Amino acid sequence: MKNSKENINRKNFLEEGLKTDISKHHKKYLGIETPEGYFAKSKIAILEKLKEEVQEKSIQEKKQLVFWLQPQFKYVAAASLVFIFALTIWLQSANNTTVNKNNIELLSFSDDSLIESLLLEDSEFEAFADATLINEIVIKAELSEQKIDDLFLNSLFVEDSLIDNYTENTFLETIIL
Amino acid sequence: MSKDAAFVKRLKDVSLKDAAFGELLDVYQERLYWHIRKMVTTHENADDVLQETFIRIYKNIQKFEGKSSLHTWMYRIAYNESMRFLEKNNKKRHNNIDEVSESNLEVLFEDAYFNGDEIQKKLNTIIDGFKEKQKRIFLMKYFDNLSFRQISEILEVSESTLKSSYYTSVKIIEEKIFL
Repeated sequence: MKNSKENINRKNFLEEGLKTDISKHHKKYLGIETPEGYFAKSKIAILEKLKEEVQEKSIQEKKQLVFWLQPQFKYVAAASLVFIFALTIWLQSANNTTVNKNNIELLSFSDDSLIESLLLEDSEFEAFADATLINEIVIKAELSEQKIDDLFLNSLFVEDSLIDNYTENTFLETIIL
Repeated sequence: MSKDAAFVKRLKDVSLKDAAFGELLDVYQERLYWHIRKMVTTHENADDVLQETFIRIYKNIQKFEGKSSLHTWMYRIAYNESMRFLEKNNKKRHNNIDEVSESNLEVLFEDAYFNGDEIQKKLNTIIDGFKEKQKRIFLMKYFDNLSFRQISEILEVSESTLKSSYYTSVKIIEEKIFL
């Protein structure tokens, strides 16, 4: 009698299926349940979370609208930086050429032009030679001519008794030194 | 246009989306909760996964092409979200799969929202002893009342395999439950 009742129970155990409320069905067979009023609260929580997600998304989209975050601006900024960088390099190299020219002229004025010429690059040598030549021939000749002019002008102010001595010394200075 | 298609159209319409989504929650929230709860064991976990599931549904509704029913599509999302949650949790807690299976029952029986008697504990133990896929098939069919076709679409298993697995599970339960 007991065995046949058990057999009926076994066969009927899963027969009912989901005919009743789904929560009751789970509670009846698996013993699992939810807090009271859970589904009403959960619906509100889900809708609130969705609202937050939507707001967050719209904030992110707005942030992207700020002009410096737009991709077009990034390209313009990058292009500007490259242009400024290139301009800086170009200006520096242009200044270097001027400096070199000035250096060669200064070196050619130096007394030891032969020693200075050793410090020059091959490419700069021709410019140095030109500058030295001009310096030696034109400028130094001009200077010595000016010194002779000064000599005669100064001799006018020197007393007659001293004139011989003065011209002798000055001539020696001008010609020899 | 079918009822399902009309509802999907409303969900895709920006001006009607929020109202339609409220209705969607009314219809599916409870069903999806139970579907998830059986996979992630505790109420707290199920609550988190349910929220994630509906957020994913809301975000991806524009991608829904109607290849399956909306009902199946949502169950699939819930299933995938649960699996993702379990993988993340299992990585954190254990390396051994058998250990996870054992502790699942302990976790279930200790959950504040488990209130089962001996028979219910026994049924849970029998189901927990099934292979993973067999367990999913039985739970989806018996407790979620999904058709074999729907389960086949969610789990990507042939209907004949599903039927065989399900009826084997029923037989095992019936044999073991009152022993």
